[in-house]
Amino acid sequence: MGIDRYSPVFQEGEKLMHIPDGVLPTTVCLGGYITAGAATWFSLRKISRQENPREGMPKASLLTAAFLVVSWIHIPIPPASVHLMLNGLLGAVLGYYAFPAILIGLFFQAIMFQHGGLTTLGVNATVIGVPALLAYYIFRLRNMVGKENRVLTGLFGFLAGGGGLALSAVAAFFILVTTIPAHLNVEAERASIYALTLAHIPVMILEGVFTAVVAVFLQRVKPELLEG
Amino acid sequence: MKLQLDRYAYLETPLHAWDPRYKLVGFMTLIFAFSFVENLQLLPFMVAVSGILYAVSHLPLSFLLARLRLPGFFLLMMGVLLPFLSGSTVLFHLGPLSVKQEGCLDLLLISVKFVCILTMGIILFGTSPFLTNVKAMRALGLPSILADMILFTYRYLYDINDNLRTMQTAMRLRGFQGHKLKNLFTLASLAGTILVRSYEQSDRVYRAMTLRGYGQAGENRGGQDNEFKAYSRDLFGLVLLMVAAAFVAGQVLIH
Amino acid sequence: MEHVKQEEPALDISDLSFSYPQRSPVLRNINLKLRPGEKVGVIGPNGAGKTTLFMLICGVLKTSSGNISLFGRDVVPGEFRPEVGLVFQNPDDQLFCPSVEDDVAFGPKNLGLTAEEVQGRVREAMALTGIQELAQYPPHHLSGGQKRMVAIAGVLAMHPQLVIYDEPTSNLDINYRRRLISFLQRSREAMLIASHDLEFILEVCDRVILLDEGRVVTGGKPSEIMSNVKLMEKHSLEKPHSLVPHAEPHHGVNP
Repeated sequence: MGIDRYSPVFQEGEKLMHIPDGVLPTTVCLGGYITAGAATWFSLRKISRQENPREGMPKASLLTAAFLVVSWIHIPIPPASVHLMLNGLLGAVLGYYAFPAILIGLFFQAIMFQHGGLTTLGVNATVIGVPALLAYYIFRLRNMVGKENRVLTGLFGFLAGGGGLALSAVAAFFILVTTIPAHLNVEAERASIYALTLAHIPVMILEGVFTAVVAVFLQRVKPELLEG
Repeated sequence: MKLQLDRYAYLETPLHAWDPRYKLVGFMTLIFAFSFVENLQLLPFMVAVSGILYAVSHLPLSFLLARLRLPGFFLLMMGVLLPFLSGSTVLFHLGPLSVKQEGCLDLLLISVKFVCILTMGIILFGTSPFLTNVKAMRALGLPSILADMILFTYRYLYDINDNLRTMQTAMRLRGFQGHKLKNLFTLASLAGTILVRSYEQSDRVYRAMTLRGYGQAGENRGGQDNEFKAYSRDLFGLVLLMVAAAFVAGQVLIH
Repeated sequence: MEHVKQEEPALDISDLSFSYPQRSPVLRNINLKLRPGEKVGVIGPNGAGKTTLFMLICGVLKTSSGNISLFGRDVVPGEFRPEVGLVFQNPDDQLFCPSVEDDVAFGPKNLGLTAEEVQGRVREAMALTGIQELAQYPPHHLSGGQKRMVAIAGVLAMHPQLVIYDEPTSNLDINYRRRLISFLQRSREAMLIASHDLEFILEVCDRVILLDEGRVVTGGKPSEIMSNVKLMEKHSLEKPHSLVPHAEPHHGVNP
């Protein structure tokens, strides 16, 4: 289990959601930067309203690094293995910091591993980060029903994790299919999006389960981490 | 794990010496200009410009190839569908499938753009130390909190990764074999542990910071001290902007 | 035995007690005075409350009862007091900047000094700790000993008059340990040093206090306290080897 060696036997899904450079039209890329900018502005504003924003920064940064590292763990789906995106878990743990964290995480992946892209940084951040914020809201519903309960934590973790990935997947596939092949007709496009999304349902379930288990672990060991 | 994209940042070339702020602006503009290109006739020029810049940077070719290998592989895996799906002019048949011209050209366009843009990115971040580039971004207007987060993430990425490796080794030495689905729970505990340890460390780091004055009235707000001094020669580098503009204009005209 | 000094004590703790909410007390009725320039060791088993005591002295935690004052002025929790510096047990917790030079400069910058003053402080602190060649290195490339010296430099750059060291020799190889001992022997600031390395305490400290279960059990001259085998064993400590009388003397000095 190392992170230097990428076995090619895996995960198109997670890779597809890190859309590479050169693939999208410039207008879409610039649009992505605008939406990412707006989401960043929104998140930073919410953060500045928190009780102690300066304290949150080292915490969010180290967790960003931790999430980057954790996302490199190979999760086995025999006969292959995947890397999970964990944007749902990120939302549950980091709250509003999730968006800057994802933006920064993608930035690092782009320049360190050429995974994702620089022109597509905005698009990728929006596609992965906005669902993370939504996952945060989903997970926060737990507070209404009783957050000490482990079953509920697991359930909301599942919804946040699976939901986060599902939304990202649909958004990414929609963008890819509608922009790249200039010569596909509308029915073929729609069919492709459906097909890609359906193919990723197992991964969505896996993300949901994994997120649920981690959430329950954190609830037991360090509930403050889930204060999002 | 090697973040060593700035392994060669110590070399001395005009690109290395260029004021990092101008370099960032120049390269990002050129990168976007490349992404604007949709016409095959401009591709040779893109390749030429990329090649020239790479040569000037004195970065080793092996460095570039190593970094392009995997992403290129994945791009091809994704893009390999294009020749079969996209377009109407059939070039030849491969069994029941037909390879279409438009699809092939699409793939060519995407691939060349991809390689050129990535090359630009590698040059940009390979010819200055990472820290310098982040300071340049801050000087160009990146919000302080994001710049700080980037630097912190960078600082602790290695340590946290080392933590993970150590734990994985310990697990393996106690017989853990990562290939079975039932091990999901163990892997989830591993992930959770990494998160908890990082969180606890961040608490101690925050304390260390406040004890050295973080959050105080007289505090350094970063980016206000002028780290960068530009000379007129730095402006020459902005010829890149003109090159970028040429691509954009070319694309618009041909269209 | 204690002369009355005209100047303020560096540290004056009277009747300090501390407990976390709804938990049993961590510290009980601590009394401790440090003269300026005095080097005091704190020994005791794990969990005795040393780190908590340090956090209280630095104002990170709030006392439950009792008083702490530094150089004549009471410690207010949360108030920034650059006269006291804390060298953490794990240097990774306090080296959070991307380069050594930046990290040493962090404290002085927060003091509101001018750029030249900051540079001067950084140079001076790095020279004192002998780490000038490490200036541009990122912390994760350093060895344990190097990290320790950088952490000390970062604290010294703030010109503290009292420095607290939490287990400074842990993870140090012989050379760095010796270097640290010489460095501390030469230093003029008041010091409070917690360590399990009793030989180290013997060489550096003028006085030692024994902390166990939150109380100061006793205090006095290091060689006297640590020669008391019954006392040491009662508090889960061992008499240092150099104090053990030998049939064949093989040390330089007989205790």
